[in-house]
Amino acid sequence: MRSIIVLVTLIPFYFLGQYRPTNGVTDSKAGYIALKNAEVVVSPDKTIKNATILIKGESIVDVGILVNIPAGTKEIDCSDLVILPGFIELNSDLGLPKPSSIGGYNFRPQLESNKKGAYYWNESVHPEVNASDSYDIDTKRVEELIKFGITFTLTHHQDGIFRGTGALVSLGMEDVNRQMIQPKAAQVISFQKGSSKQTYPSSQMGSIALIRQFLYDVKWYSDGNSKETDLSIEAYLAQDSLPILFETKDKWEILRAEKIAKEFGLSFNYYGSGNEYMAHDQLNQVNGFVILPLNFPEAYEVRDPYVARQIPLSDLKHWEMAPSNPHVMKTEGVDFCFTSSGLKTSDQFWKNLNMTMQRGLSKQDVLAALTVNPAKLLGVEKKLGTLEKGKLASFSIYSADPFAGGKLLEVWTIGEQKVLSRAPEQDILGKYTINVDGKRYPLEIAGSKEKPDSKVSVIKDVKDEKTGLTKKDTLQVKAFTQLIGNDLTLQFYVDDENFKGSMSLHGKVNMRVGVLFGDASLPDGRWVQWSAVKSDKVKENKQEPKNPEIDTLICQRIWYPHMAYGFDTKPTSETIVIRNAQLWTNEEQGVIKDGTVIVQDGKITFVGQGGFTIPTGARVIDAKGKHVTPGIIDEHSHIAISKGVNEGGQSISAEVSIGDVVNPDDINIYRQLSGGVTAAQLLHGSANPVGGQSALIKLKWGATPEEMLIDNAPKFIKFALGENVKQANWGDFNTVRFPQTRMGVEQVYYDGFHRAQEYMEAWEQFKSDEKGKVKQPRKDLELEVLAEILRSERFISCHSYVQSEINMLMKVADSMGFKVNTFTHILEGYKVADKMLAHGVGASTFSDWWAYKYEVNDAIPYNASLMNEMGLVVAINSDDAEMGRRLNQEAAKGIKYGGMTEVEALKMVTLNPAKLLHLDDRMGSLKVGKDADLVIWSDNPLSIQAKAEMTIIDGTVMFDAQKDKELQVVNRQEKARIISKMLESNDKGEPSKPFLKKKAKHFHCDTMGEEGSEGENQH
Amino acid sequence: MKLRFGIVCFSLLATFFAQAQDQKSILLINGFLHKGNGEILETALIGVRSGKIEMVRNSLATSYKREEWDTIIDLQGKHIYPGFIAPNSTLGLTEIDAVRATRDFDEVGIYNPHVRSQIAFNVESKVISTVRTNGVLICQTTPRGGSISGTSAIMLMDGWNWEDATVSSDDGIHVNWPSSTEGGGWWAEPSPKKRNEKYEDQKAELINFFSDAKAYCDGGKKVDLDLRFNAMRDCFKGEKRVYFHANDVQQLLDVIDFVRKFELPFPVIVGGYDSHLIADRLKEDKIPVMIGRVHSLPEYEEDPVDQPFALAAQLHAAGVKFCIQNSGDMEAMNARNLPFQAGTCIAYGLPAEEAVKSLTLNTAEIIGINKDYGSVEEGKSATLFVSDGDALDMRSNNVTLALINGKFMSLDNSQKQLYEKYHNKYQKK
Repeated sequence: MRSIIVLVTLIPFYFLGQYRPTNGVTDSKAGYIALKNAEVVVSPDKTIKNATILIKGESIVDVGILVNIPAGTKEIDCSDLVILPGFIELNSDLGLPKPSSIGGYNFRPQLESNKKGAYYWNESVHPEVNASDSYDIDTKRVEELIKFGITFTLTHHQDGIFRGTGALVSLGMEDVNRQMIQPKAAQVISFQKGSSKQTYPSSQMGSIALIRQFLYDVKWYSDGNSKETDLSIEAYLAQDSLPILFETKDKWEILRAEKIAKEFGLSFNYYGSGNEYMAHDQLNQVNGFVILPLNFPEAYEVRDPYVARQIPLSDLKHWEMAPSNPHVMKTEGVDFCFTSSGLKTSDQFWKNLNMTMQRGLSKQDVLAALTVNPAKLLGVEKKLGTLEKGKLASFSIYSADPFAGGKLLEVWTIGEQKVLSRAPEQDILGKYTINVDGKRYPLEIAGSKEKPDSKVSVIKDVKDEKTGLTKKDTLQVKAFTQLIGNDLTLQFYVDDENFKGSMSLHGKVNMRVGVLFGDASLPDGRWVQWSAVKSDKVKENKQEPKNPEIDTLICQRIWYPHMAYGFDTKPTSETIVIRNAQLWTNEEQGVIKDGTVIVQDGKITFVGQGGFTIPTGARVIDAKGKHVTPGIIDEHSHIAISKGVNEGGQSISAEVSIGDVVNPDDINIYRQLSGGVTAAQLLHGSANPVGGQSALIKLKWGATPEEMLIDNAPKFIKFALGENVKQANWGDFNTVRFPQTRMGVEQVYYDGFHRAQEYMEAWEQFKSDEKGKVKQPRKDLELEVLAEILRSERFISCHSYVQSEINMLMKVADSMGFKVNTFTHILEGYKVADKMLAHGVGASTFSDWWAYKYEVNDAIPYNASLMNEMGLVVAINSDDAEMGRRLNQEAAKGIKYGGMTEVEALKMVTLNPAKLLHLDDRMGSLKVGKDADLVIWSDNPLSIQAKAEMTIIDGTVMFDAQKDKELQVVNRQEKARIISKMLESNDKGEPSKPFLKKKAKHFHCDTMGEEGSEGENQH
Repeated sequence: MKLRFGIVCFSLLATFFAQAQDQKSILLINGFLHKGNGEILETALIGVRSGKIEMVRNSLATSYKREEWDTIIDLQGKHIYPGFIAPNSTLGLTEIDAVRATRDFDEVGIYNPHVRSQIAFNVESKVISTVRTNGVLICQTTPRGGSISGTSAIMLMDGWNWEDATVSSDDGIHVNWPSSTEGGGWWAEPSPKKRNEKYEDQKAELINFFSDAKAYCDGGKKVDLDLRFNAMRDCFKGEKRVYFHANDVQQLLDVIDFVRKFELPFPVIVGGYDSHLIADRLKEDKIPVMIGRVHSLPEYEEDPVDQPFALAAQLHAAGVKFCIQNSGDMEAMNARNLPFQAGTCIAYGLPAEEAVKSLTLNTAEIIGINKDYGSVEEGKSATLFVSDGDALDMRSNNVTLALINGKFMSLDNSQKQLYEKYHNKYQKK
């Protein structure tokens, strides 16, 4: 019996939230509240007119037309008003302190975590941080948010990679305990290390590796394999079941995160960046929601054509397309929510929501994205998202449909009323005659109910100067009009035979009989009574929401990539016959005159002079006088990489992979196609002795990152030696990281490879232990990769300059039982070419660079020839976005310096790099069965006159000089079209911003950080 | 004593260079001459005496007396060019980019017209020795940095000291026109570029400096010596050029106004990425352009991929005088690729001899040394070289003979020595 009593008394306590002592008598609060006669948008699909919402405490008791209202209910008339469920904002750091780094600023690099306590080794991984621990009501920002109609917010510390948990809070002003709906509502991850000053990670690929390593550590730890305690991992394990939100800054980052999700069987929701439409056909793999921003880019100020000219077409195209992003997501079946983050005013918010509808979304879609979808994402749809029975009483009351300009009057957050603006109680629009002091003045009150706008007619005698007659002239004067509640103020100026000056009226309104009446202060200072009687209705100048033209066709303007020279439709493989050309086969046939190449299904099917049939439907190209070569392969390139080419935070970063961050939107892909480049090794930089894994790509313009990666490509990794790894040219503060000398570099390798050997042994022991006594070793992504090298499953491309270090690495390799595959740069290779031959390593070098740093003092342009004569496989590489498109010229320098033959020189940039990359079974020569990667040149490809006229990859025409001229015109027209659209927007006074010119940046070997370098190039 | 070599076979040349240094008269016959002024002469005969070109004739139609010449060389159809000129270059002022101690091109200060590059020119630069072997025999050694970097000088790529090597001291001052965009941060922490809101102020400051300098120079000798203003004196007189380093169209138009305002007799635009857009105005005002490095990437995303390759042809078609320069990343070392930059212009529409001209006579005219240099014509200095074939093509640029002021120049360099050394090492094995 007793327990029942306890239960009964507890429940009301819980709901009223009054388990804390109050000073004095308990606060007074209405029991039931009924909001009557409103148009209630219960859910995106269900709207009830003339409905009543009955609430008690924080919950909705009932909603509908026939609602049983208990005795003692406070009734509020909501006639003509519209009630919407409160919106849920998912992207916020509301009420949280700003992030700050631990330990302040230091010029010297910080290699280890400064965080005190038994936490994870990296400062940017802090799942132990809970927003709820430091949340407090920030009245100012709450007021800003509720103006958007938002009643719930997920707030989290927007800092770091594993950011910890976000709290779901209600946007009430009182009582933080009451507002905290769910202290741990979701966990948030990002690729940004945030305020952490620890050097690692310094790139996006580093962040990816760190996320993966942490998740492996979590698994291993939770299986009980660790002897240590890690509070970060324990915190993560405790929040395992929460929904995960992943912050992205670009559409490709969603795909990068999805790869992680699949690897670990996780499901991510995404904070989108607004350009997801560019990868529209890739996003159907996303299971969770994408939270789309509504802060569409503002128009640029484009009136000055010199300025307009500098704005990249990609920015213009994004401005045009961004409002279509949500509709594209809908079309692709992606579930989405909206965030108001970044918007300053509610006008802009509604305007942009309307814009998404003009681009094809329905009102239901928009409402769902603001209410039920975020509720579902957080798994709180039983409490939030709609105005159904039993849900939390959080809603917004508008004077009319907010999509049609209705004004926000009140916001109720879990039963707490906040009035933002009072609706006039009466509609005073109409025609009246004012009677004051015996004089009559016609009055017309027009405008809108909320904002009446009046004119008073004053009749004045005017003397006609010509005729001398007096004429009555009616003058309409504007009257200041203000209606607050039931109190009306009217003020106007009179200048007639009776009065001269200001007439100020104050009065009450009685619209039931159509009368206004009260006291007036006359221009002569007297106080009299006045009244006005309604004579007629004014035709309400109601702004019928124009059914805006819905433009969904705009989506057809998505280009691949969505920038200058993008394809309007993705190109496909063709059957191509190139006739009468001089064929540089790189095979035994040598150079074939008047030859024919046939390309089918992406492969070369014929190379020779006669004896072929032209396949039906083939595109036949007469290449008389022209030359055909295999596509150029750049062994050393840093184009098409997102957010960091160096993970220089540690001396060994084998765990990172350029393959994770391939960026197909780099204009340099197209520029290099125009120079005949078809494939490249995208290398990690040279900031540390063991860099990261390479991406072997084909330069498929308009493709996705995954499509660019060469299928089943051999695995490669970048090593580096010399000045860059010992940070010789990094300034006086970078003297902390080991190694700082060539001596130290050797020891880094020995240490790394010995650890890898031990690691392999530990796993061997674990796997061969049938009794289950050996604990599972920790999976270490860095050592896994080093072990691959030891097992000869991964090839090394090593940045190197001077002979001592070249020799050293070969000795390290010999003693550890592996081979170095390629020395890249290798400017002193000629000094140890004999030793290199003995080791079996190839070389990829610059044609003639030198004098840019001390270690290239003995570089000579004869290097390639000398190594070639010695019998090494030698390639010429670029390491430079500009030189990459002239590799044929660079190869030709081998003829000048050291006397290579033309065929040998061409091999330096075709067959030889293919060999170094172990791709020569499918690339590098014109041979039946090989990939159809070829270039048609206007002239001998080694001539200074040669221009690539057509570049073909896998049988698909990727660059066509003829088409390029057309595209230049298309680009110009597209730019002019969008700029004139933008000008219209400028003219309408829509928000605009000045153009910020981003300097084109390029990655080089020594570039640190996520952004490209524009400084001196040190290679 | 007169040595009589008779007709020296070309392949033997290298062996007698050491002895041939003091030859006073040289006759080159049967060479394919690119005069540098746009003309060619397929079987040229060139007579050099006392450092000057005495005659340029057709070998087939000219008879000569063997005894009148110390050296006669039959070039057998090889190509002769005037020495190529590398304008706007840090050659001689830098040795190893990353080693601060070897960098001598950027002085402290914003207005440094008085800072002179001539006296810092390192004639023994190892870099220079690798540049002249590709046919580049003259350079404009040019300071960098600040609003006015300093004064450049025209130098020969050979000499015992900088006095020896000087063709023209203090040929002009270099003005870095304020950029109409700003920002960018430094390489590890870049920030976005944006329009330079101080552009108008910075322009006004420059105008102010020039106005003050002009007032000073007009004031005769009564005022105290001001090193900066004094260094500007010849710019107003037209005895020194004013090189405006500017690229975008806004800058270029403002340079034109500036030149008109100060009535500068010899303005030159350096860079001029957008110069093709205002070619008619440059032509009208007779302002020449030293175009930016040909082997560079387009500035804007939608620019034609080959815009930097095509600029020369565009200016040529529009009648704007231009030459090729090579400033930028690793510029000193890369000066040896100037011939191939000109060659690339040919592929993109520039007539072949115009390409030669853009490394020779055009450059000489723009930097003011055309009286003696820039073309192989009678009366000019015998500063020329012979290449096996087309010197603008990597395959055939092989310089086998070079004269500077009529003297045979060593074509050896440290890179060739290392090549020989290691070539021999491997040959012996």
